[in-house]
Amino acid sequence: MLREQLAMAIDSLRANTFRSLLTMLGIIIGTGTLVAVLSLGNAVQGQVFEQFIDLGTRRIAVTAGDPSARGARDVPGYGLLSLDDAAVVRDLVERRPDLFRTTTVEVIVPLDIRAGGVGLRDSVVGTGPEYARIQSIRVAHGRFLTSSDETRRAPVAVLGGLIARDLYGADPAAQAAALGTTVQINGQAVEVVGILRAAGGPFSADRRVLVPVSTLRLRLNSELDVPGRGLRVNSILVGLVSEQLTDDAAAQIRTALRAVRGVPPEAIDDFEMSLPTEALGVLRGINGAITGFVALVAGISLLVGGIGIMNIMLVAVTERTREIGVRKALGATDRDILGQFVLEATAVSLIGGAIGVSGAIGLVLLVGTLSGIAAPIAWGAVIIALVFAAFVGIGFGSYPARRAALLLPVEALRYE
Amino acid sequence: MRDIEAPVVRLQHVGKVFDANGQAFQALDEVSFDIARGEMVAIMGPSGSGKSTLMNIIGLLDVPTSGSYLLDGEDVSELDRTRQAQVRNARIGFVFQNFNLLPRMTALANVALPLVYGRVSAREREERARAALAAVGLDTKAASLPNQLSGGQKQRVAIARALVTEPSLLLADEPTGALDTRTGSEILELFRRLNEDRGVTLVVITHDAEVGRQMDRVIGLRDGRLVPQILETYYGVVAGARVAA
Repeated sequence: MLREQLAMAIDSLRANTFRSLLTMLGIIIGTGTLVAVLSLGNAVQGQVFEQFIDLGTRRIAVTAGDPSARGARDVPGYGLLSLDDAAVVRDLVERRPDLFRTTTVEVIVPLDIRAGGVGLRDSVVGTGPEYARIQSIRVAHGRFLTSSDETRRAPVAVLGGLIARDLYGADPAAQAAALGTTVQINGQAVEVVGILRAAGGPFSADRRVLVPVSTLRLRLNSELDVPGRGLRVNSILVGLVSEQLTDDAAAQIRTALRAVRGVPPEAIDDFEMSLPTEALGVLRGINGAITGFVALVAGISLLVGGIGIMNIMLVAVTERTREIGVRKALGATDRDILGQFVLEATAVSLIGGAIGVSGAIGLVLLVGTLSGIAAPIAWGAVIIALVFAAFVGIGFGSYPARRAALLLPVEALRYE
Repeated sequence: MRDIEAPVVRLQHVGKVFDANGQAFQALDEVSFDIARGEMVAIMGPSGSGKSTLMNIIGLLDVPTSGSYLLDGEDVSELDRTRQAQVRNARIGFVFQNFNLLPRMTALANVALPLVYGRVSAREREERARAALAAVGLDTKAASLPNQLSGGQKQRVAIARALVTEPSLLLADEPTGALDTRTGSEILELFRRLNEDRGVTLVVITHDAEVGRQMDRVIGLRDGRLVPQILETYYGVVAGARVAA
């Protein structure tokens, strides 16, 4: 019986293909949104978390204080970080190997980069050899910066993966061949000694050119000093032994920096520290909020879809009153008719769900291919979406189906 | 259950009262008659005589308010809706004035539909539906949709559909009403042949005197009551043309 009823349902959907599709629209949008957003959300979240775990969870970044913050003091150069501050942190790191692994700075300057007729303007970052370890950077070709580069003020550069791609193309052999050649940074010739593996994501060094701090300061750009305190740095990165020690490590850095910067006891910090735990918490929170919002949108969509189905089924019952009468005269029981219409509503809903889910899967695969981010399909969401679609069909199809089932055969047959 | 010895239909003191805007309306009053197996009977009467109500009761589409209805000797006057549907499916074949074929189904699928509700297997359905179509001379039209068939052919498909469950009773409501005279008499001819060859019991509801004349017997109805000699009295024709011919 179920097979016959299913055949009848499919047949009646095909008789009104366009109407059926319109009816399905809410379900298509609802299920599609659910699967697409949860899949992409997972992928982005995975990507971001991976980055954090890769480079962030065992690291504290000290950055400049905000002069417009409440309680900021009105002194020249307020909040700026310099190499002097970095030196104090380095002393601390060396004194406390139980807390800290290593430290380095980032001096970020956007500069013109040219090679072989290609010109870019990207961040040139003065940093040290420790940067590779703190940021979990992997070298694809050549080598990373060394301490000897720093002391010699060597005119050398390590290129981020995307910079190398833009300058030399995506071919690894062409990139390897670029080692030993020169790029012009701010008009100065600098030798390419290394190319990094592209890591992807917003926190990677993919779009950076890394050079020794001394080189950046003396050869490429010399107007970066904080008055009386040495070279200005954008951030001081500190690698930790373990993320469990974050709070202790942060307190130590804070005390040392406040002392060297002469911050009065009552004043707020004139620098900022980003701790991995905070960032992870914020990310989780954002992700939870997005997921909740998506669930809400998808839920509303499915509800609207369900009402659409109920509406069209009520129309169908009226249109087919006579047919129902004939079927009953031929021996269909109330349950047969009920089953037929519930099944039809469920078929509409499930087919809509299948279309929505397929579309979402296609979209996720497309986005994954285009962006290069591995976006696994959230199969859990697929199942939830289809189960919901089925329930919506059964739920909203029941009332019209009951109306059909309870029609009196005598009256249904008389219906014109 | 199905008593072959008993009359196919036995109505005893059947009454039907409708509630029309708070006023009771007596559609049928003390109607009693038998229809024997293999009989061809017309139920005749003018509009409002109660013949549609009578047909609905005989067809188990409605239940009497009073009296009893025995189908094949079994009292069916107080069945619940599900049992009613099952009895309709197994024992009554309906033929309607407007054919009432389902438009998106082929002739064969239309004929097989009652067997679907009778929970007959797909294979047996197809066999029996083909046999029923052959019995009405339409075996070549199995794959046609209703709108590809003429009025007469549609009514033949409908008759095949009514016969396919081998019911005790074929109940036809103005079966020639939507057909021209010639096609109409072909349908009547088909009924007669089915009656003679297969012993099909036929009840025709009609107000066409010519149809009435060709039946074995006419049950006359007026204002919800049986009237004798209705053909002679109200239609001015002599009954029993079939017997005479």
